[in-house]
Amino acid sequence: MKTINMKINGTERQIEIDENERLLDVIREGFHLTGTKEGCGEGECGVCSVLLDGKLVNACMIMAFQAADREVITIEGVGKDGGLDPIQQAFIDTGAVQCGFCTPGMILSAKALLLKNPTPSKQEIRRGISGNLCRCTGYEKIVEAVALASDRMRNPEQ
Amino acid sequence: MAFKVIGENVLRVDGHTKVTGGAKYPADLEMDNMLYGKTLRSIKAHANFTIDTKKAESIEGVVGVLTAEDIPGKNCHGVLFKDHEALCESKVRRIGDPMAVVIAESERIASKALESIEVVYEDLEAVFDPEEAMKEDAPKIHGVDNTVFHFKIRRGDVEKAFEEAAVIVEDTYYTGAVDHAFLQPEAGIAYEEEDGTLTVVAATQYPHFDRIDIAGALGLEEEQVRIINPAVGGAFGGREDLTLQIHLAVAAKKFQRPVKMVYDRKESFLAHCKRHPITMHCKTAADKDGKLLALKARIVGDTGAYASWAVNVLRKAGVHITGPYEIPNVWVDSYAVYTNNPFSGAMRGFGATQPPIAHEQQMDRIAEKLGMDPFTIRRKNLFSLGSKTATEQVLKESVPLGRCLDALEAAMNEKPLPDKDINYLEDLKAQQLKKEGFWNEKIR
Repeated sequence: MKTINMKINGTERQIEIDENERLLDVIREGFHLTGTKEGCGEGECGVCSVLLDGKLVNACMIMAFQAADREVITIEGVGKDGGLDPIQQAFIDTGAVQCGFCTPGMILSAKALLLKNPTPSKQEIRRGISGNLCRCTGYEKIVEAVALASDRMRNPEQ
Repeated sequence: MAFKVIGENVLRVDGHTKVTGGAKYPADLEMDNMLYGKTLRSIKAHANFTIDTKKAESIEGVVGVLTAEDIPGKNCHGVLFKDHEALCESKVRRIGDPMAVVIAESERIASKALESIEVVYEDLEAVFDPEEAMKEDAPKIHGVDNTVFHFKIRRGDVEKAFEEAAVIVEDTYYTGAVDHAFLQPEAGIAYEEEDGTLTVVAATQYPHFDRIDIAGALGLEEEQVRIINPAVGGAFGGREDLTLQIHLAVAAKKFQRPVKMVYDRKESFLAHCKRHPITMHCKTAADKDGKLLALKARIVGDTGAYASWAVNVLRKAGVHITGPYEIPNVWVDSYAVYTNNPFSGAMRGFGATQPPIAHEQQMDRIAEKLGMDPFTIRRKNLFSLGSKTATEQVLKESVPLGRCLDALEAAMNEKPLPDKDINYLEDLKAQQLKKEGFWNEKIR
């Protein structure tokens, strides 16, 4: 066992970890943040996507100790002040959510994309979410949601 | 009259919990005093076996190992035929058949203990080709004839039509098994409530069917079993057959503690059904104007080790093999056959997905032989309002196929496919390189 510090969703926390635990295990079992999912355990599906120091990562591919003294944002930390992030709202409004299992990872992926590129083209959105699988929607509505979120973030009065 | 839903943009009720990460899928559930289960699965496609669980049971943290002997009621389940054993008694029929479940204080202990279960297999002759499995001397997977189902259509006189035809195209088409790959691997929890009700929480497509089979396996009345369907992370037909439900229920009852099981992706692939691989032999005839005269089809669906929905799927394949076309003379034989392959069941389309591989290629080849445009030959034969299908169903309601073809033709003619796709692939490669750079640089 080893104790590490981690800033998770804006709060500094201390947590005991096993050396062989993944960041995903610490998020789900240590912090009980079950919005981050496990779909394949080998970095293929993207349902465990989180932001690590602002960069998009698969939490199943990072060892817990690698996240020591760093900042992690999960789906539970995306909204501000109890409200929804514009990306979350856009996912609801466009019908981009079906079974919902890919949704947290998709939203984190979209978040990482819009942080880097606030005005992505359709092609850039597709590329931005290319590490996240969805088996329900066919992606069209998800791309639409990210475009809508980008638009609303630039024109908040709408 | 104003509609509240039709024509309106309705927000889904579970949207908010799903975008905030609050929605609970079965793997997200936890209870106090919980045990964990892990399944031992067959590594042989067809074999008799004996199993010794003593060593595994003696490991610290293991509370018990379930085998077929622990199923108090009927050790069988299935959506049509009860041909699945919840835990195999003495014979496995496919790779991945469940044989035992270790119940332990932690997931890690349960996984580790699987290695200490001793299994002795006695190989049986296996059959993987459904054509071979249909032969009289083939190994019998369930002790009876391997042909589960035979669907026939006999309409008009196909042989006479073949004699009169201007063109005949005959070939065999194959489709492979496909996995649903729903994103949420199977998971669940079971526990006994204070009033004795046995509750099973698992992502399922048929809570009512699950209840019948769980009650049967436990020897309980249906009213004593409660199924809770939490958020379901995709299904597409792959959650229609039971996987871990009976195992959870038996363990929770036997050990009087909540029990949780979560499959990883590999086990998920082993546990649930696949789309039926189907072989379709089609002989199609048309006159010189491209009007279809006859179709003779032999369809063989590989249902693998268990029947699941094979009857419905191969019936549907048999009905759909004509395509959306009027054909006056039709002869169809459609079979579902047991083999020792992974079992097939429901998956998106339910037997309607495979036939277009055959009938659309047949149409293109007839058009080619007649020197006819592929759109024209389809328009000449398309179902329309009032058409009769090969099974004599009269189409009385919406049949908008003509409009669909019109839209398709317009799109193909007016908007040639952009060569953008090639750039996109190169972009992806560049992206991948960047990503690899990121890994090397950032992750220590």
